[in-house]
Amino acid sequence: MNSTIETKKKKKLWEHIDYYSLYFFLVPGLILIIIFNYVPMAGIVIAFKNFNIFAGRTPIESIIKSDWVGFANFRRLFNNANFLRAFRNTIVISTYKIVFLFPVPIILAIMITDIKAKWYRKSIQTILYLPHFLSWVVVTALFLQILGPYGVINNWLKRLELIDKAIPFFGNNDIFRGLLVVSAGWKETGWNAIIYIAAITGINPQLYEAAKMDGANKIQQIIYITIPSISSTIIMLFILRVGALLDAGFDQIFNMYSYVVYEKGDILSTLVYREGIGGQDYGFGTAAGLFNSIVALVLVLGGNWLCRKFFKKGLW
Amino acid sequence: MIESRSDKVFSVIVYILLSTFGLLIILPFLNLLATSLSDQVAVSNGMVSFWPKRFTLSAYKFVIQNKQFWNGFKTTIFITVVGTLLSMVVTTLTAYPLSLPKFKGRKFFLILFIIVMLFNGGLIPNYLLINQLGLRNNRWALILPGLISTYNMLLVKNYFETLPMALYESAKIDGASEFRIFVYITLPLSLPTLATVALFYAVGFWNSYFSGILYISSPDKMPLQTYLQSLLNMSYIPAHELSPEVAERLSTESIRAASIFTATVPILVLYPFLQKFFVKGLVMGSEK
Repeated sequence: MNSTIETKKKKKLWEHIDYYSLYFFLVPGLILIIIFNYVPMAGIVIAFKNFNIFAGRTPIESIIKSDWVGFANFRRLFNNANFLRAFRNTIVISTYKIVFLFPVPIILAIMITDIKAKWYRKSIQTILYLPHFLSWVVVTALFLQILGPYGVINNWLKRLELIDKAIPFFGNNDIFRGLLVVSAGWKETGWNAIIYIAAITGINPQLYEAAKMDGANKIQQIIYITIPSISSTIIMLFILRVGALLDAGFDQIFNMYSYVVYEKGDILSTLVYREGIGGQDYGFGTAAGLFNSIVALVLVLGGNWLCRKFFKKGLW
Repeated sequence: MIESRSDKVFSVIVYILLSTFGLLIILPFLNLLATSLSDQVAVSNGMVSFWPKRFTLSAYKFVIQNKQFWNGFKTTIFITVVGTLLSMVVTTLTAYPLSLPKFKGRKFFLILFIIVMLFNGGLIPNYLLINQLGLRNNRWALILPGLISTYNMLLVKNYFETLPMALYESAKIDGASEFRIFVYITLPLSLPTLATVALFYAVGFWNSYFSGILYISSPDKMPLQTYLQSLLNMSYIPAHELSPEVAERLSTESIRAASIFTATVPILVLYPFLQKFFVKGLVMGSEK
């Protein structure tokens, strides 16, 4: 009798210890995000200081020893033509990408799910998803090869005598944003179709059978069955996409742009890199970065709030 | 059921459009490959489209003998293998307790990780932190900051939540500890999702070039993509602005193509085998 109570007690204790071991699971992840995410958040104080990297022996010491300047860095920001231009470019480029690229994966998914031949469907999906896995360095090299001054397109146009001088696709302010939209579409459209393909394959096939009985053709089936069935997915992804408005594509632009196209191509994050790291104007760079982060946060939270309101389902 | 005429036309148009899209993806690779296999005269005279002209392997010979390329390759393999392994350990360890309804403080910790996804200190504080930690010119600066992604962690956590609780309970009755359950039940049952997330991490590490630009100064530690990035520079400026250097730049055209192609081969070879995993894993992880 006594021993069973003993073992029960032991078991209880052990279960207790075992339960608390779960907290140790979190330790590595927590250490990582504290050091590499929360500590840099504290570094935001640089935006409110006249930061001098040489004020101390280490960056943290320099931050402590630098003087507070209140909102001086932000005043500098909003009086800076390059900053205002970069802000405008960020919004415009992002908007172009949404307007021209958001609908394409939906159309693509509708087309892919229409394919009955399995081998063809598999192969085309394999090909279309591939560019997502390449870096913007590689994608830029590919586009440069095709559209560069000596690339295929310019060679063909020259041979057809449509132009006598190469079109500088990468070095023309009127073309650059188009290049950004096209290359972003080339890289991500296939990948972005995945979620729509999943949504479409989840539609009840009986709906289509019934529609066919009633004599509906494919176009009608798309308009009256497919689109309405995936409309909540479409709206949700649209809200999330708009929430990411301030992400105009740093890696893409960093690789593709040059000083020739700053006018139409320079965005906030590329400006932060050039002024902050390149120009070592840390206060300016941090302030511009903080502005970017805050606006982005407000947009994402707004988007998530809308999603929760309408779909009872948020980003997290 | 017989397809109507208009439906047949629709199907044909779909096949044509999709095949065109497919070609648009493949052709740039063919052009790159053709350029890398053609000699300088053919490239600079614009003779190369999608088939090598004046075939030569000299660009590849150059790449194979290029020390910086292979050093980059080694660094990239190191950060990809070590980074992916560590990422998977940390990500699954974090996801496990957060997937258990009984875990107290679940919501609090979840929020800690989600905040990180929504807001960051920005480039400059991160850059200064690496200096502060003395990680400049150290390969770990390319691994540690990106070791855990909240997005991937949530994907894993959501999948863990779909596993039947009954399994856990019966293991508990048999006296298994949380760690044993995690290793012998949770992980083996989640392989497709884990493969997907591992692929995401691996591709992320393989493709990262920017931290190499920020933190690595000695060429022998530079990751491959950072080296490739340096090959892109100076190529966009309109031809008439470059004229004195044109000849020099052109000689690098095939070399750049060969370097980029060689660096992309591992992805091109591995990717079709992994594809069946990630589509499955992605869909399963995002559905609750």
